[in-house]
Amino acid sequence: MAEPAIELYRCSYRYNPDIPALREVSCTIPTGTWVALIGQNGSGKTTLAKMCNGLLRPDEGRVRILGQDIAGQPVSQIAHSVGYLFQNPDHQIFAPTVREELAFGLRNLGFLSAEIERRIEEALALFGLEPYADRPPAMLGYGLRRQVTVASLFALRPPILILDEPTTGLGWGAAQALLDRLAELHQEGHTILLITHDMRLVAERAEWVLVLHEGRLLTEGPPRQIFAQPKMLSRASLSPPPITRLAQRLRSFGMRGDSLTVEEFYREYRALTLKERACS
Amino acid sequence: MSNRFDLYVARSSWLHRLDPRTKLAFVGVSFALLFLSSRLSLLAGYLVVVHLLLRAARIPSDRIRWLWRQMWPLTLLILLLWPIFYPTGQPTLLTLWRVRITLPSLLQGLANALRVNGLAFAVFVLLVSTDQARLVQGLVQLGIPFELGLTLAIALRYLPLLYSVYGTITDAQRARGWRAEQGSLPERLRAHVPTLVALIIAALRLSDTLTLALAARGFRPGHPRTTHRPRRLRRADLLCLAGLSLLLAIMVGLRLGFCAFSCPKMGKLIK
Repeated sequence: MAEPAIELYRCSYRYNPDIPALREVSCTIPTGTWVALIGQNGSGKTTLAKMCNGLLRPDEGRVRILGQDIAGQPVSQIAHSVGYLFQNPDHQIFAPTVREELAFGLRNLGFLSAEIERRIEEALALFGLEPYADRPPAMLGYGLRRQVTVASLFALRPPILILDEPTTGLGWGAAQALLDRLAELHQEGHTILLITHDMRLVAERAEWVLVLHEGRLLTEGPPRQIFAQPKMLSRASLSPPPITRLAQRLRSFGMRGDSLTVEEFYREYRALTLKERACS
Repeated sequence: MSNRFDLYVARSSWLHRLDPRTKLAFVGVSFALLFLSSRLSLLAGYLVVVHLLLRAARIPSDRIRWLWRQMWPLTLLILLLWPIFYPTGQPTLLTLWRVRITLPSLLQGLANALRVNGLAFAVFVLLVSTDQARLVQGLVQLGIPFELGLTLAIALRYLPLLYSVYGTITDAQRARGWRAEQGSLPERLRAHVPTLVALIIAALRLSDTLTLALAARGFRPGHPRTTHRPRRLRRADLLCLAGLSLLLAIMVGLRLGFCAFSCPKMGKLIK
């Protein structure tokens, strides 16, 4: 049986002695799972995520990545296993060309030239960045800059990908394209930890959800189970996606109230109306 | 300390209530005093007085300790290097190969260390009791053009932000396996290109957005402006300014020897 991708055992962290950012969080993320990390601003999502690649070290507790305790490992070593996409592409982009930007991480991790070239070409093709390969990434539009940062993460192909609000600022089409690329990586067996405020995205893509509130893990489970607890969610200043809320409001009309997508809602609603027609 | 670029501690003390111009005058007089005298007792006395001022203004002692922590490496450097490089006078306390340590040079090193700390604490008194907006307002009222004042205010406001952006950029590059702590000095400096270039790009984008935001809110450089909150010097300010002026006059007088001529004991006080 494969080792879990990420294991946190009673992890606590404080930026300031008076304010704990994370309080005794324990969780296990199995390899190959698409996990959504949700919670209001300041709930500790980014702190938890940064702990998983060693950018932050827990004041108390242990972090294990692919079965190994990362306490003594430098970030550059953990980067082989955990890729981290920051929220703002401008906090990463520096190279004179897109190609160079993609090569940066690969060179840091010690890949050979031929392999670097192969991976760059593959990433450029997958994210449709070939026409921009020799252009300065800083001069591209926001959507393309975001694609460049995701492509540079993709080129590293780490088994675990942590993405901090990757779809923020992207149009619907670009966001879907990005999520489709992530879905392909997920199909290949990569573990994905996604920090997001987009409940629709969580409902449609995630397999497991971690809910953080005031630095504590409030609850965890599959999206259907999480969104079936609106009271618990409202405690964390969250709410289910609109389609789930609509289904929940229609419980008195016979709906189960656990639809996560428009398609699911439509199928159930259609079945219900057909049944009613047959009865009448 | 949540924000290392803003030393301001919000309190409602008499020091906080003083006009920024009065506090700027205090800094100016303090500088003059510290440069006019090399007398140890006077320099040490100045530091004692400043500490009493800070305590009276209810500035937390951890802030004061923070400044001492920042200053001690420089203090140590002056105390060590001054006697080594300027071995003047007699008696000689120690001779080691070509290094000669004399008592006057040791005392001069101590005086310089006290002076540097005094200068730092003079500015600290201003910054710890004056928020950035009031400080800039004070500078503008002293005749600095508003555009320059606004630029300074924006620069002060954005320093912590840029520092935080630099931290995030460093984290983002570290997450891609970047390391800067290896190799020779030139190699280490070169290794900082990914973080510095990203910071410059982020800063340029920020300044571009800020320019547009200022323009959108009607900011026009060189255009006459009205004053929303004119500041007037209060009685306490006038009293402080009178005291500072008197102190400065006495110091300059003593230094130039006017008093020393009529009262030699006084002249020796500051020499």
